[in-house]
Amino acid sequence: MNILEIKDVVSGYGEVQILWGSTLNLQVGKVTCLVGGNGVGKTTLLRTTMGLIRPWQGSIHFEGQDVSRLPPYTKADLGLVLVPEGRQLFTDMSVVENLEMGASNIRARSKMKQNIERVYEMFPRLKERTGQKAGTMSGGEQQMLAVARGIMADPKVLMIDELSLGLAPVLVLALFESLRKLRDLGITILLVEQNVQMALAISDYGYVLSEGTN
Amino acid sequence: MGLTLIWGVMNVINLSHGPIIALGMFGSYLAFIKLGINPYLALFLIAAAGLLLGIVIYMVAVHRVINAPHLSSLLATFSVNMIIIGLGTAAFTTSPYNVDFSMGQIQIGSTSLLGTRLIAALVAMLVTGSLYIFLYRTRPGKYIRAVANNRAAAELMGIPSTQILALSFGLGTMLAAIAGGLIATFFPFSILSGGGYELKSFVIGVLGGLGNPVGALAGGLLLGVLESIIPAFMEASWVPVIEFGLFIVILLVKPSGLFGAKK
Repeated sequence: MNILEIKDVVSGYGEVQILWGSTLNLQVGKVTCLVGGNGVGKTTLLRTTMGLIRPWQGSIHFEGQDVSRLPPYTKADLGLVLVPEGRQLFTDMSVVENLEMGASNIRARSKMKQNIERVYEMFPRLKERTGQKAGTMSGGEQQMLAVARGIMADPKVLMIDELSLGLAPVLVLALFESLRKLRDLGITILLVEQNVQMALAISDYGYVLSEGTN
Repeated sequence: MGLTLIWGVMNVINLSHGPIIALGMFGSYLAFIKLGINPYLALFLIAAAGLLLGIVIYMVAVHRVINAPHLSSLLATFSVNMIIIGLGTAAFTTSPYNVDFSMGQIQIGSTSLLGTRLIAALVAMLVTGSLYIFLYRTRPGKYIRAVANNRAAAELMGIPSTQILALSFGLGTMLAAIAGGLIATFFPFSILSGGGYELKSFVIGVLGGLGNPVGALAGGLLLGVLESIIPAFMEASWVPVIEFGLFIVILLVKPSGLFGAKK
């Protein structure tokens, strides 16, 4: 069963068209990865899916419902969550505040306690640093926090943009391991990666995006 | 403080700050003279009205230009500024008013302190403290900080940023209105008096570091001390010269403010 169906999406920034009809389906409970070279529109596809930019044409269905025109915060309420490229943490806020902000959407609020336990179990390092400002942590810790914040949103579908970017291979391996655990918890994952080998190694399905079509 | 909150959260320089201070003053006047409400009780009414007014101003004038270059939001808030002054002039003319209200005096050594001023200082501290607790301890407050820090990420996490921005603008406006309500208890005022206080707000905001509410209170205290010390050495008319000279020096030397804000 497909939990997320992206069909013939055309989009871009301003006058610049980047996606020329992209289609992608996510099987529920699986890890799917989307690979492709630099600048082909992987991030644009994620941003369009999330509603940060509007699709010009095509449709996005989440659990059978047309969500093509919904704003990002409504999508987060539904259970579609993006861990954005470059982490985008609340750098002036503490680790635990970042996690709390992750649990902002309606569904996640009531499950905050339970999810915070889960996150600390997965990333014990974060538990040691609850009071630290997110912006002062190392790159690896920040990436952990970004994923952890995504988990706090209690996602049905978690989309992760460039998880491995700029991180040491050991750390990347550990993060990918944690994704497997997430999948086993029943969360559908979409990985967008330039690190093709590593991403394909843990994925059930793969897509290649080239020049804005696939 | 309201000015610094709005700048800190949405990078908008709110030029309607001054007339809203003036509206706060007239709010206090109307409540006291026409309705006979104690000016301090009236502060609650003024605060509520300020919050609502701010949200309306945000929705009508500011929201559509929030991502536009600064000039657009400057012009938008300046228009609001002119509208309020125009309406205020029609309703109250530009002649001065005052709220004839006294809380007695307190003698400390050779100086006497007006009760109304003492209470104003206490209320200012109380408001700063509450704002701090609101921003750091409550969920809506944390949302405001999250949106200020990274608006796109906040949206991704399910925070409706438009509502949060409207709330921030409302709070900033509320603080300006409260300030007006307090000042009205010890200074005469007209619909035009907001301008001078607005300029002072800029100096105070820059002193304390824009976007930092506690810095704003400290900056305010510092400016108050300066204003009372300078006349001891030279004529009082030099006060603004020194103040704004200091303003420029700080902008040149430490643009993030004495108490170093984030941006």
